[in-house]
Amino acid sequence: MRPPVKIRITYCAECGYEPQTLDLAGALMHEFGARLSSIEIIPWDEGTFDVRVGDSLVHSMARDGGFPAVDAVKAAVRRSLEAA
Amino acid sequence: MGTITRERFEQGMGYEEFKASMTRNQERFIANEERVRLSKADVDVFRRRPLRVMVLAADWCGDVIANLPVLGIIAKQAGTPDIRVFERDANSDLMDRYLNQGTFKSIPVFAFFDDAWKEVGVFIERPETVTELRAKKRREIFASHPEFGSPDAPVDQLAEDVRARLQHELQKMRDDMAEWANAEVVRELRAIVEGRATRGGAHQTKEG
Repeated sequence: MRPPVKIRITYCAECGYEPQTLDLAGALMHEFGARLSSIEIIPWDEGTFDVRVGDSLVHSMARDGGFPAVDAVKAAVRRSLEAA
Repeated sequence: MGTITRERFEQGMGYEEFKASMTRNQERFIANEERVRLSKADVDVFRRRPLRVMVLAADWCGDVIANLPVLGIIAKQAGTPDIRVFERDANSDLMDRYLNQGTFKSIPVFAFFDDAWKEVGVFIERPETVTELRAKKRREIFASHPEFGSPDAPVDQLAEDVRARLQHELQKMRDDMAEWANAEVVRELRAIVEGRATRGGAHQTKEG
């Protein structure tokens, strides 16, 4: 059995990104359930919205702009689970 | 795209009404009101030219919590401008009119109008001087704490205790800068009211 994957979402609390954070976390919980080892949510500042799947930074607002498409994050999680 | 008329303006919340409606950050907002320092010359400038200010805001936004109290205290001490606050996400037509760099929904927006409802100036988000000094201080914090790593590296890679210390240092830096930052906001708002500028604030936030 493949080991579960850890997700980290770092969001800008001063920018009010809670809804996008919770939507993404909720979508991943529903899609992958116990195949995730944990979802860590880190409140930060400076316009941050970063999503890390395992060791891979799959989205960074500073690098990629905007918020990630939920389907793209799900695809990254699937790849990580398949590669494990 | 939304336009400001007397009727639309009067649909906004008064400053105290907005403050009372806040569901979060109200304590920080009030604490910042208490840190605003105005000289007699500042008050006289605003008193000499009564204006109206359409504000776009939201109670989750750090720049609103920092900068709207400055405008509120000016109005309280000078008796002007007349302030009406509009929630950003409930007034997208107004927000679309004041997008930062034509793209970003940065707040607060303070749009100043004269008696004929002619726009005389706009302040968006925060003074550029504040953004610049904050960035410099941030670099200094990282330089003096090698354990924080690179200022450009994602913070989620830091150990939780290190990240908490970094968060503490950054908050302390913002608190230490608060009075100076308030004075910069006053300087930019004075420039708009005195007709020396039509734009104030920084223009580089990505989303908020």
